[in-house]
Amino acid sequence: MYEEPYKWVEAVGNRRQYLDEQFKQGSPVVALTYDSGILLLTVSKGTPKLYEIYDRLALGGMGHPADLEKLRFSLLEMAHVEGFNRSPSDVTGGRMVKYGIAPVIKQAFEEVFKAPFIVKILLAELGQKAGKESLLVINYDGTFEESAHCAVLAASKPVERDMVAYLKQQVSTLPSLEQACGIALRAWALGDRLQRKTGENTSGPSHETTQEPAAVDAASLYAHLRDTVAEKTIECALLDRSQSGSSKYRAVTSEELGRLLPKDIGIVLS
Amino acid sequence: MGMQGDFYQLLKEQGYQFGASVAAGEGREFMTATTILAFKYRDGVLVAGDRRATAGNMVMYDRTDKVLEIDRHSVMAIAGVPATAYEMVRVLEHSFKYYRRTQLQELSFEGKLRAVSKLLKDNVAAALSGTGAVVPVFAGYDFQQEAAKIYFYDILGAEFEGVEYAVSGSGSPTIRGILHYLNTWGERPLAALAEEEAAIQALRLLTSAAEFDSATGGVNRESNLYPIIKLITQDGVRVMPDDQLKRLFESKVVRHV
Repeated sequence: MYEEPYKWVEAVGNRRQYLDEQFKQGSPVVALTYDSGILLLTVSKGTPKLYEIYDRLALGGMGHPADLEKLRFSLLEMAHVEGFNRSPSDVTGGRMVKYGIAPVIKQAFEEVFKAPFIVKILLAELGQKAGKESLLVINYDGTFEESAHCAVLAASKPVERDMVAYLKQQVSTLPSLEQACGIALRAWALGDRLQRKTGENTSGPSHETTQEPAAVDAASLYAHLRDTVAEKTIECALLDRSQSGSSKYRAVTSEELGRLLPKDIGIVLS
Repeated sequence: MGMQGDFYQLLKEQGYQFGASVAAGEGREFMTATTILAFKYRDGVLVAGDRRATAGNMVMYDRTDKVLEIDRHSVMAIAGVPATAYEMVRVLEHSFKYYRRTQLQELSFEGKLRAVSKLLKDNVAAALSGTGAVVPVFAGYDFQQEAAKIYFYDILGAEFEGVEYAVSGSGSPTIRGILHYLNTWGERPLAALAEEEAAIQALRLLTSAAEFDSATGGVNRESNLYPIIKLITQDGVRVMPDDQLKRLFESKVVRHV
């Protein structure tokens, strides 16, 4: 039934639709550089979504937990074998993505008789020198993009675009950890709110942007947060240059997060 | 296999071989030309080692670090063949990290001890042929027991807990007696010493070892060379800086006659 080319194209198109549907309920992930490294933030329910991959690599994911686990393990395996056989400085985000998981994800996506990976992945890499940070975002079809200062995962491209625009508008100079936490959490709230809105709009997010006003006030985002994060956990992790030893990854504890988050937010962390 | 978080197993599956068996020699004497020591002090464990590397009568290198950090809370001090010892440390370092990152929890202290034993056991053939004997001292902070601990090994991989102290290397017979004496009849037992007092004793012990063992390098003040001293406490591993060692050495170790 897929022997004719146009049928195959149609099948891949259907697959795209199916996958887009799967991410609608997902929680966005935000990554942002700050004065001592990279901050990753998301809001999760039960299963964690932020992970340590290697000395200078961290992962944020969206999608099906089992698929995310599978890819996380193959990244861990690749990174550690490479780091052992060559050297830790040869384990770079670019290599892990380009020659590691992106081809695997692409192949699974295009093999229409098999199940695709229901995942979007953000791989953050702390550079050997300050200012050389790299953020790689891999889509469910295996395409990837690299950026230097901020990157996000969200249910659809328009939402991602709006979140990135918000991050860029909020950040002028490299923020402190405290500032970065606030900005990242607001960007998450913006993304989550947009996803819910487009979710209600059954026509689907086919338009270019979500028409969210450019200037979003913090108070309304905090209000949205208070409504949504009650039974969830704000998950935050850092690739912190000042961390002693070779591993730079550190999960931020909820007490520390309580101190870092803006005071006017009005959320009591459990 | 990944679900077990066993990096060593993963390496083996990829064709890696540790402690390759070499045609057995004529039962050569095991060279452990060095001195390493570890003892418990008030805040945790102090691990120290001299810095000399030798090959027979030849001094090969005078800046070796034999007290190697494996992760934030454990170190391995090495005596024996450096090539094998460094390789062991590399395997252990990656194994502990891989376990933590895959299993999302730290490998237990007991698990770390087992990992060291396993490598030594796989190394027996090379050790017996005279090309790869390693006799390490492993020390780390055990979060389950809330205490810093010391373990020493024989070349076959048997582990023994050094309740108060442990030593290894060719210079160790000299200082083993001193440690026993100090701990039993000294003003205070080793476990009651404060950090700097413990460091002073470590410097004196290594200087004594160097006095009687040609393979142990002492302090070389002209080249500003001091032994390596690392401290393990609940907060992790810390290296005692050279300028502090210099100050302690000059004020408390050198005899001004």
